Amino acid sequence: MVRNLKLFWAFFSNSLTRDMEFKANFIGMLFVDSVYYGSHFLFFSVIFNYVDSLLEFTKDDVTLFLIITFMMDTVYMLLIAENLGKLNRMIVKGDLDFVLMKPVNSQFFSSFRYVNSYAVVSIIMLSGLLGYANHLMGRAILLQNVLFFGYSFMLGLCIFYSVDFIIASLAFWFRDFSMSGWFSHEIMKFSMRPDTIYSGFLRKTLFTIIPMALVSSVPARIFIYGPDIRYLLLQTIVTICFLIAVRIVWIRGLARYESASS
Amino acid sequence: MNMVNRFTAKYSAVIRMTWIQALEYKANSLVGTFAIISGVFIEYLLWKRIFLTRGVSVINGFTFGDLMVYIFLSLVVGQLKSSWITSLEMITAIREGELNKYLIRPISFFTYHFMLFIGYNSLFYLVYFFMIAGMIIFFPGWAFPSLLNIAGFLGTLIISVYLSYSVYFVMVCFAFWFGEVRALIIAYNLANMVLSGQMVPLRFFPDSVLKILRFTPLPYLVDLPVSIATGNLPVERWWTESLHSLFWSVAMTFIGLVVYREGIQRYEGFGG
Repeated sequence: MVRNLKLFWAFFSNSLTRDMEFKANFIGMLFVDSVYYGSHFLFFSVIFNYVDSLLEFTKDDVTLFLIITFMMDTVYMLLIAENLGKLNRMIVKGDLDFVLMKPVNSQFFSSFRYVNSYAVVSIIMLSGLLGYANHLMGRAILLQNVLFFGYSFMLGLCIFYSVDFIIASLAFWFRDFSMSGWFSHEIMKFSMRPDTIYSGFLRKTLFTIIPMALVSSVPARIFIYGPDIRYLLLQTIVTICFLIAVRIVWIRGLARYESASS
Repeated sequence: MNMVNRFTAKYSAVIRMTWIQALEYKANSLVGTFAIISGVFIEYLLWKRIFLTRGVSVINGFTFGDLMVYIFLSLVVGQLKSSWITSLEMITAIREGELNKYLIRPISFFTYHFMLFIGYNSLFYLVYFFMIAGMIIFFPGWAFPSLLNIAGFLGTLIISVYLSYSVYFVMVCFAFWFGEVRALIIAYNLANMVLSGQMVPLRFFPDSVLKILRFTPLPYLVDLPVSIATGNLPVERWWTESLHSLFWSVAMTFIGLVVYREGIQRYEGFGG
C-alpha cells in the first residue's frame, strides 16, 4: 500500500512536469471544464424555469448535486480517465507487455500511470464553489455530513472506476473496442441526473446492477440531507462487489491477452 | 464540365474509401444507436417527472410526445452534424506536419476532410435513416406531417452538416497560430450540445439567451431542421430561416478560407 502510494506520487510528479511543458493545454482544459459546468447549469436552469422541484430535490439541491457530480467527474479525470482511455490501444498494439514486465501490480499501473494534473485546480475551484453555494443557500455544513460525504464520495469514485474499467477491459474479448470510452460515457450519463427521476425497476437497477445512482446522487444526498445508513450500506456492498468483479475481469482478460504486436 | 467531373470523381473516391473503412467498424453504429436511445430515455424520465409535477399536458406549446420526438430528432441531427473527431485529426495534421501532403497534391484540405467526415458518418446516416423511418411507421403523425416536411428536413439537415463542418474548420485553422486548439474544439462541442437545442428546444431558453443565440449560427445546426421535421415552424418561415442558414454557411466558408490562407503563411511544415 505504502509502496503504491509512493509510486503514485512519482506518477503525479512526472505527469505534472509533462503538463507544465504544455501550459496552453493546461489552461485550455480548465476552459473546457468551465464550459462543461456552464452548459449543465444552463440546462438545469432552463428545466427549473418550468418546475420547482424534482420530487425531494429542489433547485438548490440540484445545484449542489451538479457541483458534486462535477467534482466526481473531475477527480476521475485527475486520477484515472486518461489511463483507461489508453487501455484499448495498449491491448491492441501489445504495449501492455511493458506494463506486465514491470515489478508492480499491472492493474494499478494501467489505472494510475498518467495523472491529469490540471484537474487539481478544477477540484479546488469546485470545492470552494460547493462551500460558497451551500453558504448562499443558508445551510450549515455539519462535520458528520462532510465526513460521511467524503466516505460516500470515495465509494462513488470506486464504482465509477469499476464500471469504466470493466467496459475498457472488454477489449481483451473484442480484440479492438475503440469506442469503449463513448459507450462508457453513455452509461455514465445516468449518473448525471438526480436519482429522483428514476422509479420502479429502473431505479432498482441503477442502485444495484448498473449502479449509476450510487456514483453522484447518493454522495449528494448525504451532503444535503445527512448520512443515511441504508444508502451507505448499499453503496459499500455494491462497491465491494464491483471491485471484486474488476479484479476478476482483469485477471481473466490478461489470460486472453495475446500480446498483439510481438 | 470537365472540372466538375474531375472534382466529383476525386472526392467521391474519398467517400467510397472511407465508407469501406466505416463498414469495418460496425460496432460504432451500435454504440451510436445506444447513445440516441439512452439519451432520449434519460430526457424522457426527466420530462415525465416535470409534466407529472406540474400536472399539465402542454409546456411551451409542446405536449410530452412532441417533446420526446423533438429530443429524439435533435440527438440524431446533433450526432450527424458533429465533426469534432475529424477536426481533432485536422489539428494533428497541422501540428505534426501531415498537412504537407495536401500542399503538394491537387487536393483541398477543406474538401478532403469534409468528404472523410461524410464517409465515416455514412454508416450512421444509414442506421439513423432506419430509426427515423421506424418512428414514422410506428408512431404516425408524431413527426413529418407532410412530404414537404421531409424535404425541408433533408434540405436543412444538409445545410446543417455543412455549416457545422465550416464552423469547426475555422476553429481548426487557429492551430496555425496556437498549435494546440483541441480544447477550443471540445469546449465548443460541449457548449453546442445545449446551445444548439440538442438537449432542450431553443424556445425553452430565456429571452436573454435567445437574443444572443439569434446572432450566431447555432440555431441553424439542430433547431431549424428539427423544427421543420416536427412541424413546429410555420411553412412561410422556412425560406427566411433557410436563407439565414445559407448565409451563415457562405460566411463561415469565406471566413474559413481567409483564416486558412493567412494561417498557411505561418505553417512551418515540421515533421510530416
